Amino acid sequence: MRAAVAAALLAAFAAHAQDKPAASPPPSWQQGKPPALSESTLHPFAIELTGKAAKDLPVDKLKVPAGFKVEVWAEGMPGARTMALGDKGTVFVGTRQLKDVYAVRDSGGKREAKVLLKGLDAPNGLVFNKGTLFVAERGRITRYDNIEANLDNPPQAKVLVDNLDPNNQPGHFWKFLALGPDGKLYFNIGAPGNIVMPTYMEASIMRVDMKGTLETVALGVRNSVGMDFHPKTKELWFTNHARDWLSDELPNDTLHRVSRKGMHFGYPFCHQGDTPDPQFGKQRSCKEFDAPTLKLGAHIAPIGMRFYSGKMFPAEYQNNIFIAMRGSWNRTVKQGYNVMRVVLDENGKVAKYEPFLTGFLVNEKADPPMWGRPNDVMVMRDGSLLVSDDQNGILFRISTAK
Amino acid sequence: MCAACHGEAGNSANPAVPSLAGQPRQFISTSLYMFREGYRKDPQMSPMAAMLSNADLNDLAAYFSSQKPAPPRHRASAENAAAGPALAQKFNCTQCHGPRLLGQQQIPRLAGQQLEYLRGQLRAFKAGKRGELDGNMTAAAQALTDKDIEVLADYIAGLGG
Repeated sequence: MRAAVAAALLAAFAAHAQDKPAASPPPSWQQGKPPALSESTLHPFAIELTGKAAKDLPVDKLKVPAGFKVEVWAEGMPGARTMALGDKGTVFVGTRQLKDVYAVRDSGGKREAKVLLKGLDAPNGLVFNKGTLFVAERGRITRYDNIEANLDNPPQAKVLVDNLDPNNQPGHFWKFLALGPDGKLYFNIGAPGNIVMPTYMEASIMRVDMKGTLETVALGVRNSVGMDFHPKTKELWFTNHARDWLSDELPNDTLHRVSRKGMHFGYPFCHQGDTPDPQFGKQRSCKEFDAPTLKLGAHIAPIGMRFYSGKMFPAEYQNNIFIAMRGSWNRTVKQGYNVMRVVLDENGKVAKYEPFLTGFLVNEKADPPMWGRPNDVMVMRDGSLLVSDDQNGILFRISTAK
Repeated sequence: MCAACHGEAGNSANPAVPSLAGQPRQFISTSLYMFREGYRKDPQMSPMAAMLSNADLNDLAAYFSSQKPAPPRHRASAENAAAGPALAQKFNCTQCHGPRLLGQQQIPRLAGQQLEYLRGQLRAFKAGKRGELDGNMTAAAQALTDKDIEVLADYIAGLGG
């Protein structure tokens, strides 16, 4: 019986596979592009898969506020995105378009980067905890135990949770990974396209415990590739990318605070808490969804965000949020390509939102408009701030100028 | 070493070997990277790329992208030249390769490329045997008939810049 069903299914599948599609699908980043914009030449910018050397780049154009300095900390890691810090000081760096995870070791003030793991599927998310490196790939989260003692001979991956992308979705399949105060790993499952109805578990933030049991944390999140926990309240905060192809000014990318489990932030029905989607918005009301804490700007592309709890920066920086803005493609006048600073008041309300690291953006109307793209931020043990640039594969360090 | 197959200054005279002159810089570095890492395989190119550092790949990309592409020697049939533009629209070629198929960033210039090479690449994409990083071309090629591939390759190989 079971064999007969399987045979029938196979036959049906084969018949389906023989149906010729009439025309080719457009690339996934064009999903949701309206006919009125069919002549638009806006397109995503490709990273340098072979990296670029800092000596060939205008790094002297980078600017930080008075009292700070910025310098090249390590290079030679093409596609460098998310960072994680080991107990012994190893900086682990994940990638999205490449299949590699890097390890950077600091030996006597000289940093050496090497490929630690190869052949992974979009290994964007990294967490280091109690000697173990956790890696979030397209469809699974794996662990590499006792990694810092085995940097030259990393152990085989052990799978913590699998089957996170059963449909091999064409949209936002890369994942950020964050360690919660509850010891669980938090990550995104992005929407499977620009503006499409997500299926079960998509467009969400999930968490997984060390046994591999999943829970939904938040829904209606198009794609979050930056998360952190408030040092005092322990609440989850995250950045989110809004949809493309609506306009230069709408909708905003957003910063969110999760004050209870099961919040729904609106996608695909409502954007930025107050803007119904032209296609899906009529089905629901914006009022039933949770609003963002801060509108960050349209097509500004917030990626990594971390609260600052280090000892190096002045006291007014305590519990500020730094956000790496990877910058626009789907906007005629580009913005972002910087690291922004968010100052919160005692109630967690936004008191200030201002640039912290600038100088990657050269010409907001040029193609490409920039020479580098901030992707993640990470506070080091000495209180300095690392910034990854995936366009070139460089890590920058911001410290207070002595 | 490259010139032996790809021609003087990257203008190939061999219908099976692609021209590199005037290709977008990032397309060249990306292709070499893929050969080196084994994500794209070719009996000639894979061992060549295996020896090269990222700095080498960047230097080669800078050189070939700055060379002037020679006008195509190939002439498309009148029929295919007339049918080509509509096909290039229908199959979304122009969405990434640009309205004149001159390429951009990591996406190759197609206009004036060698005929056999174009045909072979389209067939390989359709068969799911051509390595790529994002899957866009494999998906796009599924809709092509053998006849579509012939028309497109003939039309594109004859296109001037």
